[in-house]
Amino acid sequence: MDFPGSLRPTLFRTGLLGLSNVPDMSFMCSWRDALTLPESLPQNSEVRMNGAPHMAKGLLWEPETPGPLPLLPPGPDPWHPGLTAQDLLFRGGHPFRRQPRVVLDVTEQLSRFLWDHGDIAFAPLGKLMLENFKLEGARRRFSILGGPILGKSVANLLGELLYEELVMRWQQLLLDDAFTGGALAWVPGRTPRVGQLVYPAGGTLDKLSRGPDFQEVSLTPAGDPWVLGDPGHIRLRGPVRQVVTRTVQGESLLAVRSDYHCALWKVSKQGRPAPLQVLQVEKGATGISLRLRRVYKDPETLVFRDPSPWRWADFTAHPRVLTVGDRTGVKIIDTQVKLERRSGPGMECCDHSEVCSHPERQIGTQRLVSSDTSPTPQSRPLHLASSSGPQFSLYLVDERLPLVPMLKWNHGLPSAPLLARLLPPPCPGCPRPLLLGGQGGQLQLLHITGEEASTPRLAGPPQSLPSRSDSLSAFPLLEPKSQWRLQERLKAPTIGLAAAIQPCASKPVLSLFQLSAAGDVFHQCLHLQADPGPPGDPGPDSCAPTASWTPQATACCSRWLKALLEVPPAPPVWAAPTFSHRHLLACVEQRKVEGKVPEGLRAAMAQGRLLQQRDLVSLPTAEPPPAPEPGPEDELSERLEAAWEGRAAAWWERQQGRSSGPGKQPKRHKRRTQLSSTFSSLSGRLELSDATSPPHSPDSEARPRPPVTPPSQELTQEHWAQGVPSERQQTLRDYMAKLPLREDAPGGASVPPSQTSSLRATPSRQRTLRDCAAKLPLQRDTPEGASVPSSQTSSLRATPSRQQTPILSGSQPHRKKPRMGF
Amino acid sequence: MLQKSSGFRQFGIGMSDFSEELIKSVTEDDRRETCELSGTGMQLPWLQKHIETVDTGGKKEKDFAQTTSACLSFIQEALLKHQWQQAAEYMHSYLQILEDSDSYKRQAAPEIIWKLGSEILYYHPKSNVEMFNTFADRMKNIGVMNYLKISLQHALYLLHHGMLEDANRNLSQAETWRYGEKSSSQEVLINLIQAYKGLLQYYAWSKKKRELSQLDKDDYAYNTASQSMRDHSWKTSVNLGALIQIPGVWDPFVKSYVEMLEFYGDQDGAREVLTNYAYDEKFPSNPNAHIYLYNFLKREKAPREKLISVLKILYQIVPSHKLMLEFHRLLRKSEKEEHLKLGLEVLFGVLDFAGCTKNITAWKYLAKCLRQTLMGSHLAWVQEEWNSRKNWWPGFHFSYFWAKSDWKEDKTLACEKALVAGILLGKGCRYFRYISKQDHQVSRKKIKRMKKLVKKYSIVNPGL
Repeated sequence: MDFPGSLRPTLFRTGLLGLSNVPDMSFMCSWRDALTLPESLPQNSEVRMNGAPHMAKGLLWEPETPGPLPLLPPGPDPWHPGLTAQDLLFRGGHPFRRQPRVVLDVTEQLSRFLWDHGDIAFAPLGKLMLENFKLEGARRRFSILGGPILGKSVANLLGELLYEELVMRWQQLLLDDAFTGGALAWVPGRTPRVGQLVYPAGGTLDKLSRGPDFQEVSLTPAGDPWVLGDPGHIRLRGPVRQVVTRTVQGESLLAVRSDYHCALWKVSKQGRPAPLQVLQVEKGATGISLRLRRVYKDPETLVFRDPSPWRWADFTAHPRVLTVGDRTGVKIIDTQVKLERRSGPGMECCDHSEVCSHPERQIGTQRLVSSDTSPTPQSRPLHLASSSGPQFSLYLVDERLPLVPMLKWNHGLPSAPLLARLLPPPCPGCPRPLLLGGQGGQLQLLHITGEEASTPRLAGPPQSLPSRSDSLSAFPLLEPKSQWRLQERLKAPTIGLAAAIQPCASKPVLSLFQLSAAGDVFHQCLHLQADPGPPGDPGPDSCAPTASWTPQATACCSRWLKALLEVPPAPPVWAAPTFSHRHLLACVEQRKVEGKVPEGLRAAMAQGRLLQQRDLVSLPTAEPPPAPEPGPEDELSERLEAAWEGRAAAWWERQQGRSSGPGKQPKRHKRRTQLSSTFSSLSGRLELSDATSPPHSPDSEARPRPPVTPPSQELTQEHWAQGVPSERQQTLRDYMAKLPLREDAPGGASVPPSQTSSLRATPSRQRTLRDCAAKLPLQRDTPEGASVPSSQTSSLRATPSRQQTPILSGSQPHRKKPRMGF
Repeated sequence: MLQKSSGFRQFGIGMSDFSEELIKSVTEDDRRETCELSGTGMQLPWLQKHIETVDTGGKKEKDFAQTTSACLSFIQEALLKHQWQQAAEYMHSYLQILEDSDSYKRQAAPEIIWKLGSEILYYHPKSNVEMFNTFADRMKNIGVMNYLKISLQHALYLLHHGMLEDANRNLSQAETWRYGEKSSSQEVLINLIQAYKGLLQYYAWSKKKRELSQLDKDDYAYNTASQSMRDHSWKTSVNLGALIQIPGVWDPFVKSYVEMLEFYGDQDGAREVLTNYAYDEKFPSNPNAHIYLYNFLKREKAPREKLISVLKILYQIVPSHKLMLEFHRLLRKSEKEEHLKLGLEVLFGVLDFAGCTKNITAWKYLAKCLRQTLMGSHLAWVQEEWNSRKNWWPGFHFSYFWAKSDWKEDKTLACEKALVAGILLGKGCRYFRYISKQDHQVSRKKIKRMKKLVKKYSIVNPGL
């Protein structure tokens, strides 16, 4: 392989990627990178003046429309953007600080809980005191005055759980790396114009029924996509986080990563996928790469200086040498030497330990393999490392000289660029387009030149491409509620990016596909603009012509919008519990559209009378909620639990030797439901019946959320959590886990030990739950149906140590940090 | 309310600590308005807006700050859309930031203006070199801090446009510029400026050299020209000498410096420069440093041992480099057993890389080397190399797909590969079988020979 004969002068200092910022030579101007030194022979310089350097100046991909257009109709499931920064931020000011800073509003969250659910928070204590304590009408005032009475242990418990939850939510809000790499891929077909889009479908990307769709798409010579037929489905067990395709030795391979499974398919020439391999990853997969029919699993043996839940691996030009990146740096490791540092001949190991002290952190490393279909792999051993810090830089690193980046570029994207795609040159001699996709939907396109024996550099200024929010103008104006919904939908985080370049003789066409967290696939066509000539030549005033909406485009948008508005809106994230039947009625009336609520029930509610069996006769009977797994013996917890449920007396009786009846489950269920709708700052904003969502900032909310199921499907395991905002569920689960809701172990409700242990072994409770949720419905089909609820419960009690923590014990429980450590 | 807060005090304190710990603003002296999530070190501009609004209780920034920051984002947007004219118009308005009452913003402004302004002027269809020069000269003198940086970049711009004399004048001016106490970053910049000046002098020198080569030695102009050449070289060595001591990648400087030293017969000086550049541990291990040294030694006709020792290091850094085939040839010529063994290892190493799979010379060498090694009854060497590759080379090199496509594209390559495949994997391997079954007039003889060799040397069944 050729190595550039003369590299551009760079100062070397140990530090971030071996390059210090003092003095900052690049200055972050793209023109600076386009400069070339005359070769040693000065006569070349005259040629150079009018020649090559200006070639790339006019490079511009001109969008056909001002924004991307929806490619497929919206999915049938409602989508909600979820938690936003405003929900968590403290609303007070810091008048003495010059600088604004983030303060998460823990106190407000907690006080809301106490205010809205005083009965839950205070009742156990009251019940303990039995008839000596009367809460009744004074509850509200008590919630304010009751601080000192409440006792430290309850406050500690609540505070800690809330703390953990907020930390996790906040980190997720800042950077959700689950979709690093992107969950949308283009599988080239028989001809360059035909291909398949592979992406996870299903409105909320956590649904179990979701699988990758194989959507066949044909591109017209003008680049417009033509969707062929209905997509096929493959049902997977968990949410798909990443989809990778690559052509290896003439075969199209497709790898899919979900949280705990990685799978590999071979896609035949006819577009039919055949499974090759599935890999279960105990600790949670964070990246997948594809080559040589091998799915790479994150090794546990690597030791990094910082705990970094996120890790990423990719191949190098040597098929047995991999790069492994985490938040702090990149390492090159040799798999032949059992994933240890390569000591013999081979690549130098770059271990940027100093990076840790620098605020700039890695958010992605990727080998730049262009997606061309040629059977020979691209030989240039270049890697892309993007980082997030004060400068949001992007580095191109040659693996043969890892300590000095070949190119550093400050991309300036307002959100983390988790998606990057290097495309083949659109025409011979043209630079390769490098697409960067920010989580917030922003797209940037860089032109990279420098094949083989010359150093890679930017050719021409980078270009921003329209994002989905730019398409808003193509939609007809709506009434505010729907308009807001549309805006939110368009602003959903981008979780996938795919592109195909059409080898068109005259004007190369770039087809760009985007997948949003709401499950929408948008498409845009870009044409490569002709060179407007070197500077100095009188050119057009503005070399960027502005695109406008075509009637077809607006018609397409209108059709899509119509379908979108037909989708029932997402249920409110959270609503304050209310006892006014009018609200409930409104809710019921809304559901009438679905035609599933009997008239009797509504009539009863309208009249405000007690519901009777005949009113409910046609309603499906709900399965009793899962029974909690019995915990260790703990008298105090039992007593508290009983007090919580208002059965302190019964408990006492039972203690005396009498057994209690089994009929308490439904009641507990109700309690849980009440408890679950807590910890929210959204209370005042939403009516139960109103689906208008509050403003939200980018947050890829593809995490567990309440399943929106019609009543007939209310048998899901998450039944008790229905109506609970997804972001609160974890808190609730933890909270529930802390509560020693236990019983005398019923015989059949035990969990297969292997399953329980595997669930407990997972490092992050959140992931545990996700995994668990992913598995459950499959388990439900097994003959041991009775074991399912308890397995869920056991997963809720994430760590064994937690199980033994009695409530109100006054002791500080030992708990792990909320990090997803390896 | 008091009671309530006292009740929560215990974890209230914890919370505030947590906020401190979780989110850190950048240090006061940095005063950049960004926020960061400690632990991950992320900084997110979009968040900043929220926090500002939250923090000021919804109050807005001062009007001036608001308009300038809006203007800045308009410029950036226009730049990213390649709307140069629009960007230039916004830029005109943005200059008012130089009047900002906030001294921090006022100080940072010239650098921002230079970045954006030079970007616009570089790409604007109606701009020209004169305009760029005027802008650069103005910006150099607004706020002293950027003088050196802008001078250097301006000079590089001129250099890129072939205006060597202007560039030289610029660099000379910058070289003598001093402001306050010499800081380390200033010093490095001055070194860089001097080095680029040296490079310009080298260009002049090599032009003279070319002229000289066309002159007759007896010509009276010869002496003058050679004298002026000497002057240039002396200046250059002064200018380049300082920078190449500083750790970095200085390929163009080192190359030209060495060329001049060699020209005047200072072989020792050249060797020292190159040895330092290649072996100084403070420098990043730059493959080119070793290549330059190797080429120098080759020119010097250094002994084979010496050349091998230089390439050995290059082999450690870049086993896929094309010089590795030369390295193999050197090793092959050596009589030492360890060199012969290393020669085999080098070839296997080259062919490990995805970019070298179609290198026909490498395959030819490997086929030959395997034959010789096995003839010399060093089966253990081959097995040692093969053991770490036998689980992936068959799929990587010798698959049915490659057999078909290699045969289609390059029959010689296919034959060499098939020979290697046959030796390493035996007659039964797919690649060998496919190629040996081909009936092609030109290759028939080759295939026959290949079959014979495989029969004789295959390591799979040595007895057969």
